[in-house]
Amino acid sequence: MSLLTVNNLKVHYPIRGGILRRKIDVVRAVDGITMELERGETYGLVGESGSGKSTSGRAIIGLESPTAGEVTFEGQKLNQLKRQDRREYYKDIQMVFQDPYSSLNPKKRVNDIIAEPIRNFEKRTKDDERRRIQELLELVGLSPESMHKYPHEFSGGQKQRLGVARALALQPKLIIADEPVSALDVSVQAQVLNFMKEIQRELDLTYIFISHDLGVVRHMCNRIGIMYNGRFVEEGSAEDVYDNPQHIYTKRLVAAIPDIDPANRKHQTDFRREVKKEYDNKKAEFFDEHGGVFDLKQVSSTHYAALP
Amino acid sequence: MEQSQQAETMADPQDMDAGKSPPGWRILLTEVLRDKVALFSLLLVVSIMMIVYLVPLFLSQEEIVRVDLFAIHEPPSSEFWLGTDYGGRDVFGQLIIGTRNSLTVGIGVTAVSGMIGIILGVVAGYFGNTVDNIIMRIVDFFFVLPTLLIVIVFIVIVPQYTVWSFIFIMSMFLWMGIARIIRSKALRERELDYIKASRTLGSSHLKIIFTQLMPNLSSIIIVTMTLNLAANIGIESGLSFLGFGFPEETPSLGTLISYATNPTTLEERWWIWVPASILILVLMLSINNVGQALRRAADAKQRRG
Amino acid sequence: MWKFIVRRIIIMFPQLVLLSMIVFILAQLMPGDVTSSLAMDPNVSPEQQEQIREDLGLNEPWHTQYLNWVGSVVQGDFGHSFTHSVPVSDLIWHRMVNSIWLGVAALIFVYMLALPLGLISGRWNDTIADRLITGYTYIGFAAPLFIFALVMLFIFGFQLGWFPTGGSVDPGLTGWDFFTSKVYHLLLPALSLALIGTVTTVQYLRSEVIETKQKEFISTARAKGVPEPKVYTNHIFRNSLLPIAAVFGYEVTTLIGGSIFVEQIFSYPGMGQLFLESIQVRDFPVVTAIVMLFGVAAILGALLSDIIMSIVDPRIRIK
Repeated sequence: MSLLTVNNLKVHYPIRGGILRRKIDVVRAVDGITMELERGETYGLVGESGSGKSTSGRAIIGLESPTAGEVTFEGQKLNQLKRQDRREYYKDIQMVFQDPYSSLNPKKRVNDIIAEPIRNFEKRTKDDERRRIQELLELVGLSPESMHKYPHEFSGGQKQRLGVARALALQPKLIIADEPVSALDVSVQAQVLNFMKEIQRELDLTYIFISHDLGVVRHMCNRIGIMYNGRFVEEGSAEDVYDNPQHIYTKRLVAAIPDIDPANRKHQTDFRREVKKEYDNKKAEFFDEHGGVFDLKQVSSTHYAALP
Repeated sequence: MEQSQQAETMADPQDMDAGKSPPGWRILLTEVLRDKVALFSLLLVVSIMMIVYLVPLFLSQEEIVRVDLFAIHEPPSSEFWLGTDYGGRDVFGQLIIGTRNSLTVGIGVTAVSGMIGIILGVVAGYFGNTVDNIIMRIVDFFFVLPTLLIVIVFIVIVPQYTVWSFIFIMSMFLWMGIARIIRSKALRERELDYIKASRTLGSSHLKIIFTQLMPNLSSIIIVTMTLNLAANIGIESGLSFLGFGFPEETPSLGTLISYATNPTTLEERWWIWVPASILILVLMLSINNVGQALRRAADAKQRRG
Repeated sequence: MWKFIVRRIIIMFPQLVLLSMIVFILAQLMPGDVTSSLAMDPNVSPEQQEQIREDLGLNEPWHTQYLNWVGSVVQGDFGHSFTHSVPVSDLIWHRMVNSIWLGVAALIFVYMLALPLGLISGRWNDTIADRLITGYTYIGFAAPLFIFALVMLFIFGFQLGWFPTGGSVDPGLTGWDFFTSKVYHLLLPALSLALIGTVTTVQYLRSEVIETKQKEFISTARAKGVPEPKVYTNHIFRNSLLPIAAVFGYEVTTLIGGSIFVEQIFSYPGMGQLFLESIQVRDFPVVTAIVMLFGVAAILGALLSDIIMSIVDPRIRIK
């Protein structure tokens, strides 16, 4: 049984207008996505800003209420749960936020921040709680003494480690990481990513990794879904997507991944220009008459693409 | 940076183990103590408060408000430091007790209207959307009501009129400003990820409001309440001035000033209304000064992140 | 834009209905009605009294009474004064004219003061002129209007004798003399109101100018070689004037509240003074009518302010 199934999930926001503020239209932030996650894998949700990838993540964890569709976690349909039971299930899904500066309450000390989920779900004595916090801090590579500090005393990378420590406090099964490194300096991005991979192995975690950076996603993910305007344009294993992209949009994204080797620069530029030309020419073929994305079609056993 | 460190060392010593976050007011206080004008104002307000709350313990109110027809409108003398009013009552004593009464009502109204405003503002800002919409429409409506007139009507028609009903009636129509300020700050905070994080960590709305949101609203609440206190003292004395505050046997600063609506008193018996006017001005200016300094401190703190 | 205005006007109706309900409830809470004075009259038997109550609709259920009341208010009928045996509307009419005079004069002064003061202290901030203006707004913000108005009356009315100390016009004048006398009587109360009322607008304008002059489009204008005075007249002032509309509604409500104090202190026969007189003698029909009228004025002020804002600032309309 897969850990998480998302079936035709939709999140629509009403646009109100006119004299009486009636609903006149909707923004289809997420417009019917379907995905399946196996235990221990890392699923990459990729797309530009506004493609609906963050909204999908938030809808899965319950921060947004879906307009339609269902999220099934360990065989339990989450949106059908009663309020009290929801809490128990959502305990197993945690989130690491994009902005480490705003995701930690500036008025709280580290121990209060990390203890929040523990105090919500576990009855621990003060000493026990302190031991657990120190354990978590060590796990993310911070000194146990830092539990008395405030968030602003940490660097961006350290803050993100605090965010991870907090997400790990309840020993969750699934972690949704919403652009966890995009607010960080490039120099610390790799550090945080490698460390996230380490703890994944160590704690047998499953990740949904939301990012706009295909380079980072390749480093992290086994399977990838490419989103455009709230829908998947392509979904498959990392190899499927990177080495054999079917959709013109994916091709262009993949072509845009920077290559570190300067020797390839000329080749890379030409290739990009070529893909751009192809994209402009064939755009009409790959999207319907309103610029919408087609439904996914199976390309191989693991590979799907929104082809006409 | 240097300041924030200092603020923290101040807050730190014992509660390291308790693991409590530093209270916002302590940081603000250190900032205000640096500001000479604000410090002076604060000392002034505190000493006025001490005098008006302590001295009446040795004065009897009946003694002061007893009509003495042989001592009407006496100018200041060694017996009556600030002369007497038309009933031969000692103005100085009335001034002390009046200031105390005005302050008490001011503080009471600030507290009650603050409570209403904070609750509605936080609820509107935290939940947003429809809840916010409904509450803000109510706020808008109260804002356009001719509140002063309605308060006066209530004061006149309320059957058992006491200080408490006075405080309550005033508060019912003075909570909108603070609600609006708190709401817009809460609305901004709610968009920050730490609130969303708390949701995913299993904290209930109530818990998030009290343990996560409120600490981040504390400075703005302190600043607004301080400025409101000054304003409320003004409103109370204004109502007493019009004759709708305390009953006449209860001295109030506004009542003393209202004697000046008599042209002879205005022109010739300055001792009745000038001291009370100056006292109100000094109180309101000083409390405002402290409030403005707190506001600057809060803004500076925000800039430092 | 018309959409915004229509929407805004639609919002105003529930406000008016709510206001009328509150006023109606207040009126119900007020002790006594028309028949209370009849009860004292030995010539009127309890049966006749009851008949009068019945005729006046006072025995109807509350919602019928409310609708009747709203119906007559809309036609300008506020009932009869308890103390003066005339219709309330007759009593209010010339007081209202006086109050409108006072309000308009005060508003004119508010903006006559606010514009130069705000613009000067914003343009040359941190100069001596700015310090003085800021100091004034600081004190004006803290000082209660009634004390300030008393001091104005004391100094300019009594000590210096420059202005009349009461009334709205000298008796027995006609034509041009009547008009100048009215204006003369208005000046001191209106100035007192305006000097206190204007400080919010001055502060607002000042910070707006200071903020605007640091914006990039101003630097661009300067870089293009637009002469400094022109930068101010064409760019900064124009942009800073927009938010002034935002405080307009607030000014109207402040002036309404303030007029009660000022009319009382300067013995100016306006609605505020009538309100205080009437409530002291418990003449509740008059009180009710004045609360209602002030409420309507405030609602209209807020409406006007929002419409002006939507005209000067297109961003508001989308909201």
